[in-house]
Amino acid sequence: MDTNWNSTDKIPAKALKQEAAGPELPEGAPGWEPEYYVSPGKTRRRAILSFLAFFLGISLTVGSIGSAAGRWVWQEDTAAWQNSDWQETAVFRRQVSQYLEAFLTLGAGHLLKWYDAEYGAADAYERGGSWIFSSADAPLSADTASEAPAYQDPAVGNPDYYYESDKNVLYCIHRQGRPASDLENGWYTNAEDSLLPLACKKLKTNRDYQSLPDGYNFLLVFQDGKARIWKDGVELDVYGDGIYDEASLWYVPGYENFPAGDGVSGVEVYLAVREIPVRYMQGDYAGGGTSGIPMYWLYQDLQQSRAFYHTAAVIFCAGLFLLGVWIALRKERAPADKAIAALTAHIWTEVRFLAAAGLVLYLLFGNTSRWVYISNVTQLLNTSSAWPDGLEAALGLLLGLPLSNLPALLGLIWLLWLLRNDHKHHLKSERRSLWRRFSGGLRARELKLPVQRRLYRWICIGLVLSGFPALVWLLVLTRSMGVSAYDSLFWITMVPLCLYTALLVMILRRNIAPIRDIGLLADQVEAIRDGDLETPLELPLDADLRQTAEHLNDIQAGMHKALLEQTRSERMKVELISNVSHDLKTPLTSILSYAELLRQEPLESAAADYARIIDEKAQRLKSMVQDVFEVSKAAADQLPVQLETLDFAKLLRQTLADMDEPIQKSRLTLKVDLPESPVLITADGKRLYRVFQNLIQNALQYALEGSRVYLTLTVCGGRAEAALRNTSRTELPDGVDFTARFVRGDESRTDGGSGLGLSIASSFTEACGGEFHVETVADLFTAVVRFPITPGAEPSPEAGGPA
Amino acid sequence: MNECILVVDDDPEIVGAIAITLEREGYRCLRAYNGMEALEHALDPAVRLILIDVMMPKLDGLSALIRIREKRNLPIIVLSAKSEDTDKILGLSMGADDYVTKPFNPQELAARVRSQLRRYTLLGDIHAEGRGNVIVNGRLAYDPERLTLTADGEPVKLTATETKIVDLFLRNPGRIFPAEEIYRRVWNEDAYSCENTVMVHIRRIREKIELNPKEPDYIKVVWGIGYKLEQHG
Repeated sequence: MDTNWNSTDKIPAKALKQEAAGPELPEGAPGWEPEYYVSPGKTRRRAILSFLAFFLGISLTVGSIGSAAGRWVWQEDTAAWQNSDWQETAVFRRQVSQYLEAFLTLGAGHLLKWYDAEYGAADAYERGGSWIFSSADAPLSADTASEAPAYQDPAVGNPDYYYESDKNVLYCIHRQGRPASDLENGWYTNAEDSLLPLACKKLKTNRDYQSLPDGYNFLLVFQDGKARIWKDGVELDVYGDGIYDEASLWYVPGYENFPAGDGVSGVEVYLAVREIPVRYMQGDYAGGGTSGIPMYWLYQDLQQSRAFYHTAAVIFCAGLFLLGVWIALRKERAPADKAIAALTAHIWTEVRFLAAAGLVLYLLFGNTSRWVYISNVTQLLNTSSAWPDGLEAALGLLLGLPLSNLPALLGLIWLLWLLRNDHKHHLKSERRSLWRRFSGGLRARELKLPVQRRLYRWICIGLVLSGFPALVWLLVLTRSMGVSAYDSLFWITMVPLCLYTALLVMILRRNIAPIRDIGLLADQVEAIRDGDLETPLELPLDADLRQTAEHLNDIQAGMHKALLEQTRSERMKVELISNVSHDLKTPLTSILSYAELLRQEPLESAAADYARIIDEKAQRLKSMVQDVFEVSKAAADQLPVQLETLDFAKLLRQTLADMDEPIQKSRLTLKVDLPESPVLITADGKRLYRVFQNLIQNALQYALEGSRVYLTLTVCGGRAEAALRNTSRTELPDGVDFTARFVRGDESRTDGGSGLGLSIASSFTEACGGEFHVETVADLFTAVVRFPITPGAEPSPEAGGPA
Repeated sequence: MNECILVVDDDPEIVGAIAITLEREGYRCLRAYNGMEALEHALDPAVRLILIDVMMPKLDGLSALIRIREKRNLPIIVLSAKSEDTDKILGLSMGADDYVTKPFNPQELAARVRSQLRRYTLLGDIHAEGRGNVIVNGRLAYDPERLTLTADGEPVKLTATETKIVDLFLRNPGRIFPAEEIYRRVWNEDAYSCENTVMVHIRRIREKIELNPKEPDYIKVVWGIGYKLEQHG
């Protein structure tokens, strides 16, 4: 292969090769766009692929981001889901401290409330009375209290009944020096003997914190007013520097500023948590059953959150990948867009608006569970006008609403895209709309009326409507409100309303006069168009449109004056032509007559020659004067024509027969191709004969000796076209208008022509309503005469007049 | 003969040229240079024909023509520089017997003068003979029975084909015949590219009957339709 792409002579050959080779050629070939080779099928596939990538890419990315954002806005995540170990989350720690609070309460036998207390005054809170609690004074934290069942089985009667069944959290609670009737050694526990109690006992004696039951990895021991925590056998630092503050991890008593207090002295709590919580079923199904296993739900929520975010991330990545595919193929999408636009174009605009409205409604009301949130936010907005809270709430509402119903949101996005796509591909007038059709029909009917009627109609509608509010108010007053004419309300409201209506009516009525004047103006403009240049429009002196009417009158007068002047100058021109023609012809008559007489005299040979020359030139002058006269008349549009339907082909045959003699005498061959069937046109036969007489004479005079002259008549597209082609004897000059007066092929002007032949042909053809033009290609001279075919007419044998 | 002809034109040279030409033909000429003079001379009973120009001082040719017509019945040929058909029709409708446009050929003018004079002298003869079936059309008289044609009373020698064509035309003055129809009716053959043949014969007939075959007064081409014989009074 030749690699020299700059060599100009190689490129066409290469181009041909590439074109012939088709799509197989490498796309990287320089100077060639890859699109050049794409076959229609491939274009189609690429378009579909590009569109699918675009559609899915946008849907998946927006969907994943939207659902994640929705989760964030609706605060569905209970904890920091990023942590792979659920026991290291703040929620877990919070839950553990809640358990501890509850167990300490159990151990102490009376309510302790330190959980919701302020940090500084987080002292133990004691309350006397029975330690057997009811729902009213539940020892639980505010969070769990609402979920804790008030149910207590009297047969069992255990104070720790509520915690007993959830083996995700094993506990032993013991208070030294307090007799426990139901448990040995004063223990509260939910663990079998083999498990925690033993362990606890063992712990108490052995301090062996590694040996937790199978499946449990977290241990909290509260002894002597301090808590110690082991996780996976490793003790954690619970109190840090011993001062409780916001950054402290564990919210349990034992800090310097948060001591356990005297109420819990002697209480020991052992609390173990399962590594992976299990769904223990509680005996109480009536109260919601599974709500008593907070650790399980905590774990499950976290797992769910993690799973959700992982899936969202995967979907988001897939969406990004598809978007990448789309960007790579974005130029290929256009056909798909076009095809979709062609489909959507059939949908009425009203249907589109309904669909959009439906989607918006679905977005707002489709997911009613969010309304709780929305009402909360609204409440928040109402109650707390504090700056950051209100803003946050408003933002939440703004963001939260569309995110609450993701399918509807995506639907709306794609609907908007479809609308935009349709608008891009179709003009407003191309879109289908019931309303436009309806209003268009009404408007078309209205437009048939004259302008003043239309305007008057609207004024009448306005007049009728202006009385409407007063009437409605009158009805409301008398019928609905039972106000009678004796009430002041009636007069206070009705009088201004009636005055207002009267004013409105007056203003509208005032417009009737200008509307009448607009109508008169419109009529006047129409009259002027129709040729009335003499009647001015007189409007009343105080009319709004008086000045406009006067301007129109000025224009009319100006046009009239111009027309008169034009007519006068036309007439003068024609008179001038006529006079000049007469003044030329009179002496010419004498010259011709005496030249003839001179020729009859017996003259010497030289004198006879002179006489002959005078006679010849006088004859030529005669024909030139006649030609000039006719061309001038044609130029002044004063050439009388008698139009009749005639057979173009026959006219050409007659012309050829008429000019048979000079044609035979010339050394030219005339090649004639005329249709046998009549070619009917409307023209002045005499003038058209002169056209072809001149054209043939022109050919006889200027065609190369011995060459062929072609006369053809063709019918094409409702037009008959006669063409006369000949090869010029002399070189045809470039850029010369041969139809201009006194223009000839040779500049020497020594031949016999008047230089008016083609000018006569051109002006006569145009006077008959045809087209005439001349083409020159090198030495080939072509004259074309074109006439529209007269449809459905027969040549009229009786026509022709007396001429 | 020495028939007297009144020549009227405001250009003395033109009057002179016409007079010389006519006098060479053997006529006697009276000269006038405006309409009023023409009226005076026209009353001379010796005047047998008037040649009168249209555009003249004092009294124009057409007005003079009307006033002469009131008193005398004689051939009047109008000379005019106006060559439009409308001018020609106007002149003929005013009572002119012929209309010759300037510049004219003196020989043709003389022929027209001769023709007009012959017609005026012959007119009485034709009616006197009372041959009702002779078709008269201007200068032409055609006897369908004897198949003879005369122009200005002089017999025209026609071939058999020409006679058939003349027969067709003179029997149907004013009617337009397409070449095909003429060919069918004269040659009794189907017409096929007959335009040239018909035209050749018409041209020959014209040369025999027309005063100026190049501008025929009788057999005319109706371009794009056919041929017709103009009806003359």
